[in-house]
Amino acid sequence: MTLRSRSMFWRIFRQLLRASRGRLTVALIALSSGAAVSSALLNINLDAEQKLTHEFRTLGANVVVAPPSSGSDAALADAAIMDRIVGPSATQIVAAAPYLYVAANAGTQPVILAGTWFDQVAKMNSWWNVDGSWVTSRDDRSHCLVGQAAARQFGLAPGSQIDLRAGERNVSLTVSGIITAGGAEDSQIFTSLDVAQNLAGLPGRVSLVQLSVSGTPSEIEAFTGHLAGTLPGLEVRPVRQLAAAEGSILARISGLIFWTIMLILVLTTLGVLASMAALAMERSRDVGLMKALGGPVERIMHLFLAEAAALGIVGGTIGFTIGVMLARWIGGRVFGVAISPRLAVFPVTIALAVAVALTGALPLRLLGRVRPAEILRGE
Amino acid sequence: MAPLVQVENLEKRFDAIRALYHVSFEIEAGEWIAIMGPSGSGKTTLINILGGLDHPTSGRVVVDDMEIGQLSERELTRYRSDKIGFVFQQFHLVPYLTALENVMLAQYFHSITDESEAAEALRRVGLEDRLEHLPAQLSGGEQQRVAIARALINHPKLILADEPTGNLDEDNEATILNLLHELHSAGHTILVVTHSQAIGNLADRRIELEHGRLARISLPVR
Repeated sequence: MTLRSRSMFWRIFRQLLRASRGRLTVALIALSSGAAVSSALLNINLDAEQKLTHEFRTLGANVVVAPPSSGSDAALADAAIMDRIVGPSATQIVAAAPYLYVAANAGTQPVILAGTWFDQVAKMNSWWNVDGSWVTSRDDRSHCLVGQAAARQFGLAPGSQIDLRAGERNVSLTVSGIITAGGAEDSQIFTSLDVAQNLAGLPGRVSLVQLSVSGTPSEIEAFTGHLAGTLPGLEVRPVRQLAAAEGSILARISGLIFWTIMLILVLTTLGVLASMAALAMERSRDVGLMKALGGPVERIMHLFLAEAAALGIVGGTIGFTIGVMLARWIGGRVFGVAISPRLAVFPVTIALAVAVALTGALPLRLLGRVRPAEILRGE
Repeated sequence: MAPLVQVENLEKRFDAIRALYHVSFEIEAGEWIAIMGPSGSGKTTLINILGGLDHPTSGRVVVDDMEIGQLSERELTRYRSDKIGFVFQQFHLVPYLTALENVMLAQYFHSITDESEAAEALRRVGLEDRLEHLPAQLSGGEQQRVAIARALINHPKLILADEPTGNLDEDNEATILNLLHELHSAGHTILVVTHSQAIGNLADRRIELEHGRLARISLPVR
């Protein structure tokens, strides 16, 4: 039976793997470990953007729609814009809260009244600390939320009554909760939009609309542009600090993951190098012999490179599988939600593992330089 | 007809050490030559140069019309697989390949593999029931017979045997010498490096080296 060279190649290849299974197993463990962590981090990196932008949406509005800031009448928009905002682009909007700010008095002291939709404010600012309880209904005309500085100023606590007056109009409300937001909100009193509009005598008017929009910074930018096109005469602008912070955090996380993967790959390469160096010592005599028998260097090296590539493919596959489980576990611990495995990570993991294996096989590649006469003499 | 091997003023240096110098001789096709001499006399260096494992420092070595000193590494590799059959004292089989695969390895490096031809080569050396055995499962004599089958498989012009019985007991030595005798009778050209006067006396001629120089070329004492 005549065998083609390729068949003999694979025959030698199989025997080579069988003969060196101890050392190769060590290299495979190193490769699988490196591939597992790399695969987990890549999965996390791809999912982190989505997970983090979701998290960011609980940190308040990231887009504001407001009339141009020139002239007092122009500073108020028609509340009907809410229909136009949440209509066509509703899928990207997590929450939308209109605000009407009214300069009112509580007793003799002035206070800023913010009329809004309580349900949307709660959704947008879930991180606010509330002593007492949220007002959950947007139509609740008898309750209010009071910022902690204002509550201290007026001596209010949950359940207290407060009388508010603007010009000739007044309203009496029950304090449902005291909020701590860490910003200007701490000095304000939040009522339903209707109450503020009636008190100010500005029915159907709002000062601005705050939006919480999901997506990456670039997606939010695109959304803003699109919305501005549908709302002529109004300013639609992203909250720059928040968008910049999101972009910066995402970039830093990606950078951290990239360099961690690089470090892991370097360490994995060193592990594979150590195994391959020992293997090269063991095989130097065989390579010398093969060269003495007339074996072309490239044909001998193809055996070792095929071996390294096979190691990379197997190590990458094992690593990817473990990496998916690792990513799920890490996702659960960090984000409270399992990371979804990305198939795109599989070929990347395999490519990285093969690259590491081929780099780690450097000592075997150097065997091509052995001089058969010296090896056969036992030098 | 030109001799199969022509060596003229061969010199080989390893740094300051002259391993061979002023060595000249010729070998006709079909001859059995014994290369003899004490340890360090340059026998193995000579056979390595003839086998294309080493370059001469100066002088001319021509085997089958190919001047070895002029060959590139790639051409030397081709030369070894086409023209030379090696038999080493230490057998030098690949430990993880079976007897059959060790013979097929030489075919693989030469051209294409033919399993039945490799099995026939092993049958000729009396190892038809050892085809699938690994070297570690074979005796020293059996391993050397595998090496001889491997050396013959590509029909080389020249068989170079470096102390082929050096690691064998008397029985196995006799077997290997019988095999070499058969090869010689079949027209193969054989160079055997040996310390043994008995083996030297089996050859057609003896090339004797001393301190890297050609001491004499003699006929065997029968």
